[in-house]
Amino acid sequence: MIELIEKIEGEAKLDFSFKDGKIDFVDIEFMTARNIEKILQGKTALDALVINPRVCGICGHAHLIATVQAIENCYENLEISKKAEIMRELTLNFELIQNHFKWFYLTMRPLLGKKQEILKATYPSQLMAKAIAVFGGQYPHTSYAIVGGVVSDLTEMDLIKVNHYIDETIKFFETNVVKADVEEFSACDKVDNILNTSGDLPDILREIKNKEYLQHGKSYDRFIAFGENSYFTKGKSLKTIVTQNISIDYVKEQENLNSLAKNVTYKYKYYEAGPLARAMINKIPLVKDAHRRYGDNIFSRIIARVCEIEQLLNHSKKLIQELDLSEPSYIEPAINIENLTAKGQSAVEAARGSLIHKIELEKGIIVNYEIITPTQWNLCNGTRENPGVSQKAMIGLQEVKTAELVFKTFDVCSVCTTH
Amino acid sequence: MSDTLYKTLSTRVNELSKLPKMDDQKSIPDLIKENGFSRREFMAWAGGVTAMLALPASYTPLIAKAAEVADRLPVVWLHMAECTGCTESLLRSASPSIDSLIFDHISLEYQETIMSAAGWQAEQNLENAIEKYKGRYILMVEGGIPHGEGSHFLTIGGHGKTGEQSAIDASEHAAAIFAIGTCSSFGGVQAAYPNPTNATSLSNVTSKPVINVPGCPPSESNIVGTLLHFLLYGTLPALDAYNRPKWAYGLRIHDMCERRGHFDAGEFVEQFGDDGAKNGYCLYKVGCKGPYTFNNCSRQKFNEGTSWPVQAGHGCMGCSEPDFWDTMGILHEPLANRLFHTSFGGLGSDATADKIGLGLLTVTAVGIAAHAALSAVKKPKE
Repeated sequence: MIELIEKIEGEAKLDFSFKDGKIDFVDIEFMTARNIEKILQGKTALDALVINPRVCGICGHAHLIATVQAIENCYENLEISKKAEIMRELTLNFELIQNHFKWFYLTMRPLLGKKQEILKATYPSQLMAKAIAVFGGQYPHTSYAIVGGVVSDLTEMDLIKVNHYIDETIKFFETNVVKADVEEFSACDKVDNILNTSGDLPDILREIKNKEYLQHGKSYDRFIAFGENSYFTKGKSLKTIVTQNISIDYVKEQENLNSLAKNVTYKYKYYEAGPLARAMINKIPLVKDAHRRYGDNIFSRIIARVCEIEQLLNHSKKLIQELDLSEPSYIEPAINIENLTAKGQSAVEAARGSLIHKIELEKGIIVNYEIITPTQWNLCNGTRENPGVSQKAMIGLQEVKTAELVFKTFDVCSVCTTH
Repeated sequence: MSDTLYKTLSTRVNELSKLPKMDDQKSIPDLIKENGFSRREFMAWAGGVTAMLALPASYTPLIAKAAEVADRLPVVWLHMAECTGCTESLLRSASPSIDSLIFDHISLEYQETIMSAAGWQAEQNLENAIEKYKGRYILMVEGGIPHGEGSHFLTIGGHGKTGEQSAIDASEHAAAIFAIGTCSSFGGVQAAYPNPTNATSLSNVTSKPVINVPGCPPSESNIVGTLLHFLLYGTLPALDAYNRPKWAYGLRIHDMCERRGHFDAGEFVEQFGDDGAKNGYCLYKVGCKGPYTFNNCSRQKFNEGTSWPVQAGHGCMGCSEPDFWDTMGILHEPLANRLFHTSFGGLGSDATADKIGLGLLTVTAVGIAAHAALSAVKKPKE
């Protein structure tokens, strides 16, 4: 039975097969491709800064940052000011935050039988988009990050604005998502305490319990994250055992017969990427508690993503304090890019998980470019013997409707996947 | 503006108000009130739109009325090969603003990203919407269209219909067709050389007239403005040679740029991060394509007027011009005296400028030539 899954910023086709009233396999197909990697070949390196954000309008900023870092990685000893680094991290945080709000209000709540409240999704995401615009000029598709830093020269006035947008978003979080002080929420390490409060998050978490969905969505309990910054750490988590020594060299892409999207593995194994993966690797107490009780299910995925909103908002406030406006925004690279023949790679944490870019330059011209998107990790189309992460999470369910819910807890984005 | 225009527009709005609403239970004034906007705020918003469409302030009540009857012409929004950035731009329009409220209300019939129905149901909704509002709906298409032998690169829905076919079918009975964003206007990023999926513009696959609202993404105000313009006039707006509405794309970024004074004074950012950058000088020498790009970003800005690329310190990259990926490079270098090759024998967009524009073009060309000469003394790299 074929089911089309919309509302994942693009379209995926899920072909369910049933045995004894249960889903025994799901084939995930993407029927769209744009071949952006081919378009990049033969173009000058800097063109990638314009083209790559257009891989995805949803997480385009993550693509911009990944591109600029991949090109910078081609240089030896390229210098970036602390200020530029913090600014890039802040705008990326804001992109993650606005994305999580939209997913929570536009996708998750309606799927759990709640009214779709578009304005609750748009209000905080617009605040965060404005915060990006203060640094980058516009959102989506800013181009303010360039090789060597950023173009913007901030003033104190800009920081006051951005701080205000963050405060307003925190206020929204405190009055809607969880009716509690963010400090309190941040210190909370027991899922039960959250379940006893009011707010839109506890509301749907209770719904999951009431509907007896707690067994839904379990997969391999195997997580990975490659992006590193002042907040996220890279690593992998296997049944709660976390190790940090992972390398992009073991990440492999495979063609997929049925679909225009490629599968991706780490040491030939499928891994889950995204907020739950990051929370497991970063050992966020509340998420760890959810995981301890319920495993890598839909409950944990939801709480991890919403938790990240609060963590990133608070962390961003701290980061702004560290900004020193007297530092340079841009430091000119010592070598002209036209003389550069090198390979580079980067990994950033986008809203849905690790985004990896690999570039190969010959005298400043792109000879090869490889993009591995977060949704490729979660939506691998494996075989019956070795299903992908989201496939495994859906197998065993009885209804297509609950399978769709499970599928969407991964916050899938087919636009990225079908680059 | 004459009384005749006012009368024509009033007649149009009155006629629209007689058509049935999409939702009998809820009118647009109710919706706006429900979401906490006062009448005064609504009128202030209408005043802003009036100015944007270059109409006299006395037309404000008429614009307000047009917005109130917007639910007579539902919007069908199709996604083709794209990044969803245009939808994102719209979703992020002014803080829960009147634009987005109205737009969300009238376009929920078929908008994949935000609608509640999924899969087969969605496909059914599209067919129903087309049938129910035959000849009345406004079609908005986002994304380039893989065409001909490349059409299989975009297959939509359970019946495996190609995106191309879907766009052709939806165009057939639309009252007006808008290509939203550079992708559906001109093919967009996926049509960049070597165009592996053979992506093309909406106007290339349908024989119906298409109004292009390019930009990557276009600002929310250009999307909503185009819609309101059609509501008001019921006819196509004045268009340039690329079928872009002149009220939005009539002038170059350069013409109304806040850094224009520095260009005229010969004050340039020579390199990102220098004193010129700190002082907000002109970005032409670090690759700004504003002198070749027709759009109103310098006036409307983005994210509720928060900022725009030039304000942040990055040059315009020409995203509302056809094939800017291939023709406007190199990103951080000026076009200078290199020819900007577009259609119309290389005259490109400039062929579309009216007399004032032509006058400006001459001045710009001279200015650019002079500054290009200056560029030669720019500190060489390495």
